Formats: sequence, C-alpha cells, structure tokens
Amino acid sequence: MSDRVDSVQLMPDIRLPAEAKYKNELDALAAHDDKPRPPGWALSPRAVETYILGSPKPVGGVAITPKYVGDKGLIQVCIATLASDRALMLVGEPGTAKSWLSEHLSAAISGTSALVVQGTAGTSEDHIKYSWNYALLLAQGPTPEALVPSPILRAMRTGKFARFEEVTRTSPEIQDSLISILSEKQVSVPELGEITSAQRGFNLIATANTRDRGVNEMSAALKRRFNFVTVPVVEDLEQEIQIVTKREAELRTDYQVGVPPPEELSRVLLTLFHELRKGVTKDGKTKVRTPGAVLSTAEAISVLFNSSILAQQFGSGTVTSQELAASLVGAVVKEQEDDVKALREYMETVAKSRTGPWKELYTASKKLLRG
Amino acid sequence: MDFALLSRVRHFPVRHHSPRTTAVLLKWLERVKPQVVLVEGPCDATALVDVLCDAQTRPPVAILGYRTDGTPSSSLWPFAAYSPEYQALKWARANGARAEFIDIPVGVSLAVDRQAPGLGLEAEATEGDAPEAPGMAPAALEEEPVVPVTEAFARSHGYRSFEEFWEASFEAPDWSPEQFQPLLIAWAEVLNAGPRLAYHGQRDAFMARKVLEVVAGGVAPEKVAVVAGAAHIAAFLAKSVDPAEEAKLPQAGPCAVTVIPYSFPRLSEQLGYGAGNRAPHFYQKAHEANCDFRRATLEVLLDFAAHLRMRGFSASLSDVLEAYRLAVTLSDLREKSAPGLDELREATVATLCRGDATHVDGFLWKSVIGHEVGQVASRIGQNSLQAEFWREVGERRLPRTDSPETFTLRLNNPVEVGSSVFLHRLRVAGIPYATLSGTGSSRKQGGEAEAGGYAALTRVREAWQAQWTPSTDVALVEKIVLGDSLEAVTTRVLQERLTQAKTTAQAADVLLESVITGCSQTVAQALRVCDAHAATDADLPSLASAARALSGLMAYGTSRAHSDVGDEAVAALGEKTFGRALLRVRDASACAPEAVLPVLDALRTLHEVALSQPRADKEGWFVEARGLMASHAVHPATSGLATGLLYLARELPEADVALEVGRRLSAAVEPADAAAYLEGFLQVNALVLVKSRDVVKALDDFLVSVEPERFRQTLPVLRRALGALGATERRYLMENVMGVRQLKDKGRAVKAVLEEKDKATLKDLSADLGKALDDLDDLL
Repeated sequence: MSDRVDSVQLMPDIRLPAEAKYKNELDALAAHDDKPRPPGWALSPRAVETYILGSPKPVGGVAITPKYVGDKGLIQVCIATLASDRALMLVGEPGTAKSWLSEHLSAAISGTSALVVQGTAGTSEDHIKYSWNYALLLAQGPTPEALVPSPILRAMRTGKFARFEEVTRTSPEIQDSLISILSEKQVSVPELGEITSAQRGFNLIATANTRDRGVNEMSAALKRRFNFVTVPVVEDLEQEIQIVTKREAELRTDYQVGVPPPEELSRVLLTLFHELRKGVTKDGKTKVRTPGAVLSTAEAISVLFNSSILAQQFGSGTVTSQELAASLVGAVVKEQEDDVKALREYMETVAKSRTGPWKELYTASKKLLRG
Repeated sequence: MDFALLSRVRHFPVRHHSPRTTAVLLKWLERVKPQVVLVEGPCDATALVDVLCDAQTRPPVAILGYRTDGTPSSSLWPFAAYSPEYQALKWARANGARAEFIDIPVGVSLAVDRQAPGLGLEAEATEGDAPEAPGMAPAALEEEPVVPVTEAFARSHGYRSFEEFWEASFEAPDWSPEQFQPLLIAWAEVLNAGPRLAYHGQRDAFMARKVLEVVAGGVAPEKVAVVAGAAHIAAFLAKSVDPAEEAKLPQAGPCAVTVIPYSFPRLSEQLGYGAGNRAPHFYQKAHEANCDFRRATLEVLLDFAAHLRMRGFSASLSDVLEAYRLAVTLSDLREKSAPGLDELREATVATLCRGDATHVDGFLWKSVIGHEVGQVASRIGQNSLQAEFWREVGERRLPRTDSPETFTLRLNNPVEVGSSVFLHRLRVAGIPYATLSGTGSSRKQGGEAEAGGYAALTRVREAWQAQWTPSTDVALVEKIVLGDSLEAVTTRVLQERLTQAKTTAQAADVLLESVITGCSQTVAQALRVCDAHAATDADLPSLASAARALSGLMAYGTSRAHSDVGDEAVAALGEKTFGRALLRVRDASACAPEAVLPVLDALRTLHEVALSQPRADKEGWFVEARGLMASHAVHPATSGLATGLLYLARELPEADVALEVGRRLSAAVEPADAAAYLEGFLQVNALVLVKSRDVVKALDDFLVSVEPERFRQTLPVLRRALGALGATERRYLMENVMGVRQLKDKGRAVKAVLEEKDKATLKDLSADLGKALDDLDDLL
C-alpha cells in the first residue's frame, strides 16, 4: 500500500504494463503453482488460466482479479496453442480486448509484455528482424554491438513471448517475413555470419482486426503458422456492464481523475450500445438503424470514463445524463454524417419513450444532435 | 421379493449408447462367463435376438414395436454397434449363452405412451432410462424446457454441458470393471435422488420378477448377468423395488415387433441422458478403436481435412497434426484423460478453420454425426413391403442414405416412368421418403399440393428430393396391414378414398391418382364411380373439374396405368361428363352472389376443356354460353364471363360485344348488376377487352351515367372488378378512355389541377386516405 502512495508522489507512468500492475498476483500464483510448467514458462498453463479468468478464492492470500470476462474455453485454447509450436492469432472486431488479452497472456507466461511490434502501413522488415546503429556500423563495420535487434529477435534470444499488434495493417510482403521466424524459429544475420535460434519459451501472439477497411489479407502460408481464436463481441448485457464498470474504475485509479458514474447510467449506456449494435431494441419490438462507427466494449469504457472526467472538471461533480450525452455523441459520430441521423433516430424512437435517465439523456442529446 | 437372491445375480449397470460402457462390459462378461444374459429391452422382442445378432445385420438398427389394431402408435428401441445392450447380446450368441430381454412388453409401453404422451421423453431427460423415446415425436422434445438434473450437476462441476461431463468422467478414462460399476451405480444414485416417475418403479418390479423367474428356472444366480440401465440396477441393489407396483402397469394393446434399419442422424436427434448421443459417428470411431478417444479424434480430424479440401479449402496434414496436438493439450489442461467432442470442435475451429466457426457449423459437424444407415439381415425382420422398397430403391438407384438428395426423372422411357410410379405410390400410400420438388426445368410448378393429380399428367420431367429415414421403414412396417405389395397398399388407400368420394371431382381425382400410380384396378373402379356420380351430381364445379381431369386423361393417355379398360372408356366417360356439366350450366349460374366464384371457375374450366379437347361438345358449350350471355335470370357475373369467353374464342364479333356490353351496362339495368356483369367480363382476359375501344366506350358511358348515390353503392363491386386489372391493362384503359373522350390535353390539365388539390389536402391526411384518393384518381 505504501508503494502505491510513493509512486503517486513520484508521478508514476501513466499506464503500468500488466506484469508490473499485477506483480503481486503473478508472484502469488508462481509461488503456489505446483503444476508442471512448459519450458521457458513462468507459470503452469492452469495458473495462467487462473490469472486471466480470476479465482473466487485468494491464492496465497492474494485475490486474483479476472482480467478477461467470458468463455473459459476460449482462454484455454489460447493457452494450449501457446504451449505448442504454433503462434496464436487473436482476431475479432475492434475493441473486443484482443490486445488486452495478448498483453496479459505474455505477462503471465513470459513475465513481460513489452516485446511488442505495432503493425502499421510503415512497418518494415527491420522492425520484425533487426536494424543497425548506423554510427557504430560505419565506425566498426557489422559487429554484434552495432546490431539493433527487433522486439521479436529479443524475444527469441531470451525465450520470451513477442507480440505483434494489428498484423493485417502491415503489407503482405512484410507479414510474410514472419513465416521463416515462425516455422524455423531462427533469424539469420548474414552480415555477422550468424544465426540466432529462438530459446525455449519463445512464441508470438498476434492480433488482427476483422472490421477495418483497407486491411491486408494474410497469405495462406502465414495463416498456417497460426492457430486462430476469434474473440467475440460481448453478447450478454450484464457481463458487459460488469466489464465496463470494472475497467472504467481502473482507469480512474490509473489517471487519478474523474468521479464514479452511477450504475444506472452505465446500464443506460450499454443498453444503448447493445441495441445500436444489434439494430433492434431489447424487447425486439423496435428496429433501430445501426451506425457505421464501431460500438465496442472499449468504446463504452472510454465514453463512461470521459463523462466521469467531464462531470468532475466541468460539471456538478456527479455524472449525469448531460455528460454522458456529450461523450456519447463524440464516440458514435466519428466518421459519417449518417451516424448522427442514426443516433438521433434512436433517441427519438427509443429513448424518448422510456423513463428515468433515458428521458434526461434524450433531452440532453437533443441539443447536441441538432444539426 | 427375494432381494437376497436378486443381489446374488450378477449386475452390470450401463448407460445406453456408451462405447466405454461397452468396452468395460465385454471385459466383465469374459470374466463372469454367464450362462444367461438378461438385457433391458421389451421382453416380447426376445425372438428377434437372432436377427439382431445375425452376421448380416449391421447397426444402427432399432426394434420397432407398433400397434396392429390400426391405431397409429409405435416406439423404437435403437441400437448402435457401441450400445452395451447390443454387444451383450452378441457376446451371449458368440459364447453359447442364452440371451433374453426382460423389460415390459411393447404393448404395455405403447399403452403407457398413450396414457401420458411424452412421458418416456421426460424420463430420458431427467431420469436416465431406457431408450423407449418414441423416435417419431421429436417435436415433443423441443417443448421440454426443464433443465435436467444431469445438466445442473455437470454445470455445478465446472463443465459446460452434461455431455462434456460424461465424456470426461466416464468415457475417456480407461476404467476397469471393478472401478466402473460402482462409479455408474453412484451416478445412478445421484439420478435416483431426484423425483422418479412411478412408471420406472413399475418397470423395476417387472424386470426384477423376470430376473428371479430365470433363477427359479434352475440357473445359478451367479451365472445370470443382468445388463440394464444404471438407474434400474441401482434400484435392485438398494432393494427399493416394490413388487406391487407391477400391477399398476396398463393393459397391453395388440401389437407386433420387428427390427428395422436405423440411422446415425436419428440417433443424434434423441436428446437427454438415456435416449441418444450427440455424435454417433465419433463414438463409432472410438468404439472401433477400443475406446481410444485420441485415435477417434485424429481420425475425425483427418476426415474434416479431407472434407475441407474437397470443398476447395486448404487443410494440410500439418494442420491436422496441429489440431490433434491442440486437442490433446486442451484435454490435458482440462485434466481429462483424452480429448472429447468439445476439444475436437475447438481445435478444428482454431486450426483447420482459422478461427471461423461457420464451416464447422455449416457442414463439418454433420460428419461427426454421420449419415450411416443400418442394415437388417435379409432372412427375417423385413416384411414384403420393406423388401420391395429396398429392392426397388436398389434397382432404380434411388438414394438410400439419411441425407436429402435431389434427382430428376425424364418421363420418356419406361424405366424412369417406373421410378416415377414407384415414388408416386409411396406418396399416395403415405410412406415418407420422397417429395416432388418441381418439374426440374421450371420452378413455377411444384409444391406438394401439386405433386399428383392433373399437374402430374402433363409433366415430362419430375424433380424429386428423397431421403431415407427410419420413419420410412416404420411406415413400411405399419402399412403391411393394408396389403403386401406397394401396389396393393396404394390400391387400398385409393379405394378408401373412392368410397369416401362424395362428388364427381373427388372420384376423378382418385382416377388421376390411380393412373399416376399405375393402379389399374382402381382405374376401372374410379371410372365407374365417376360415372355413377356424374349422373346424379348437380354440382357444376365438381363436374367441370372431373371433365377437366378426364379430358387430361384423354389427351395424355392412361399409358401409365396399363389399364385393361382402355382409353376408349375414359373418352366415353369424358364426353358424357362434359355433356352432363353443360346441362347444369344454366341452373348453376342462377345462383346467389356468394356462391358465384366457384361457378365462374367451373365455367372457365369448361371453356378450356371445350377448346382443348376435340371430343368435347364445343358447339354445345357455345350454345350454353350464348344462353348465359342473353339470360337475365342468371347471375350477371356469369353472363359477363360468358360474353368475355365467347369474344375471346372469336365466336362474337367486336361490334356485338360492344353492343352487348352497352346493353348490360345501360342505365335501365340495376347498377349493382351491371357492376357484377363487368366483374365477370373483366375476369377473362382483361387486356384484350380493354384494348377494344368500343368496349371501353360502353364502359365509360355506363360509369358516367350512374347517379352519384348509385355510384357510391356500386363502388365496392366496381373496385373489385377493376382491381383485377394490372398496370398494363390500366394504361390501355386510360388511353382508350382518353381517346373516346378526346381528352388527351384536357386530361393533363385536369390531372395537374387534381395534383395541386391533392397536395393541399394530403398534408394532414393519413396514408390510408391518400391511398383512397389515388384509387379514385385511377378510376377517373
């Protein structure tokens, strides 16, 4: 606890990596883990599962909080894949906690989630294999000191997990440089005349988006190196409320800002998200237009967090429909003008006729959506 | 009841359709070496053990019990190769032991089903007992919303479903008989702890008595092996059997038993603890691999990969290896001894299907269910209908699997006509196997309603969809009471329909069906019945429809029927029927307004027959039609129709039509009558009629002359009459109206004014009112 206070005073990192934030949980699990661990793993598969899904009973006096709420089978497939020689590919719609899951899996299994390559259109083979410190290269010629290893190469050398975010944003030729890494588990550096082979414990977790336009389809050869796990959109309203409330509270603690929003409003927000996503109201009676913007769980978290900051800084100090409406409009209406219409339609046909906070939300949004 | 003696008998508790139980049971039988093996199953089916164990019999098969008094009621006791009961019988046969069924007779369990339909099923779901689930009533299954005890138990132990729990705890581990028996008994006690249906207690008592009778017959109790559902065995061992219960069983109805082929898809449809299992093909593989579920998983994965490749997806051997490894790792992670169906599915999705479950749901999963159909030894168990069915299906190369297949018959050669007759016979006899899906070329025709009758006569191609299901065999077995060949059964069904036929049309329908199904005997009978009815039938629609049927037969011939009466008899009857119909035209047309619709249909049918059938009395029809046209005593709609038909047949010059229409629509005539006339008139071929300017003029004059008050009264009829017009007809009508009135330019102006007015008024009006205005606009 004193740790916490100190770190606050010293202006800590905005966001701690999973392995630092949940260090006490990971330590407790490692200390009480009597199951065999695959080579290079910090925890046994069963302990990793407990870490991700949480445990109803504290382990070694430490409560294990759930990091992912959802299908147990899905997590087990992830862990089983990582214990094999195939890499894991998490696919799904944006905001379904793919990266979140990948971070926690790496943290639990390898003890680090920092070896990450972010896939973009500008990602080159250098980012995947290695590049050079050109000053040293010019001064000394190709030497091991002048080599700048990529996160993946570092993971191979140390037998850790590497993470590759948004693989499909990278061009297919660059993606394919992963093939040899994943099948031969080695990277050759011809300039030095040496080959780096992966230490036991190395594996790769990649994520890819199924919704974004303009993504590059992966080659069949690369696909064969992965086991695919589809991370689903949360279908269950109660479950999503639980996830969003929990994550939003964590964000408030991390950023030391905002006031807790009332439960009632979280429910309103997520019901709205669910209904807009499905295109039909909860009772199945009214059809609503689905906006083009992605209405993910992550988006809901951000809307709720945003309104809690608004309320604290510019509002009355408690989150009301006013703040929620303001954040909501910003989140839903991002790309297309049509989305304004979809939201306005929803407010007119659905929110208007409901009671309590819905009514206030309707009034608050009416002004914002006029246009 | 001598419980001490009962407990000395060797018991083996089973779950039906469980490969592991079978494997353990066989080890146990080898050790116990009983002289008598008593198996849970209807005791009056003991005679069928020979058939079940015959080398030619290949499971899945089922014992079928059915009532013989004509009440439709039947029940199935299915067996797969991996069902412990089945293997117990086989073992007994191979080792010279006596094998008998000891459960209540078929007649009693059918009576129980009748008392409380669905009771058997409920028992399956909650209690875990014999497979007497009536296989024919899957609908009843879906109505069961209860969460069974078994499901709740599995979920409370961290499993996602009962089946997963069962696989992990009972199927996968390599149990020895000593471990397995107490385990199943303990499980049965969990089940029996819940409320148990009285019916099961009654069966316990019955079975216990049967067992003791065998012992009393002089067999040492240690040499008697009882193979029955774990719940029953648990009841025996717990001494909770009340002999008095047996008397509460209902009286048996008259019934018979036989063995029929069964299929994996049906087995997987049976839900619940006792009734079936979710992936027969997978369990079959496991059974063949001596309950090595790893091997079964690998084999199924190889099947999947082959299937994916066949459909053009990439699925390499390394994918299969990876999927297998993933399945095994998953089962290790879940602390199971071997992968089960859940691991198989997850591994397939993650590797072979690249995270996308659609292929698995779409087609792959069907292959773990399998579509195998069993086979019953030919020497017994098949009645003549089944034999005929299977022979025909074999010779004609018709589908024999339990998955829908489509094919087309070209009716230009005797072989395919023969197939068509065969399929039509099955259809008429009510044996579920094939349905007509159309003519193969055009999608217009089709639908089961049109499968037979007049439409069938005119076809040159028939597209069928056929699928064998156990219900096919069930029907074949049940129909034997009607005759011993398909022709005999069909003839009987048709004869029954003939005796029930009240009108000429119904009799003619039977006649057509007889021709299509090649039942010459009923052809002759139906002709006679048609004749008899036609003489007294006063119903014009019925006569007209019969005339059409007969005319069709005259045109297309009775060749399919090989009828000994010959085409001449049909032709003669056809002429006679047509003549009789004509005699009734006038009377029928003088009907009340509400009865006019069928009469109009009949008139059109007669017109059609008159024009298409050379032997029909065409002139006679025209005379009648003219009569109708001229008459004011008949319903005006029939007059209108007759006018239209005559005009269309070029029997009436255009000028005469205009005159006639003008007369009928003149101011002297009641507007309602005039409107009805118009309705009949426009029913014919409106396009031809509205194209005639003279006709349109008469129409226009009539509409203009109607007084406003009258107009309002006749509006509904007028709207109906003109509502029949399509967009093209309306356009012609408008053009002609404009032409008649020389309105072309004026019309536009009027329209513009109207539109302006409309806009002003429409503003506050609801959509309905707007539509009404549009309609008025159309009329003007």
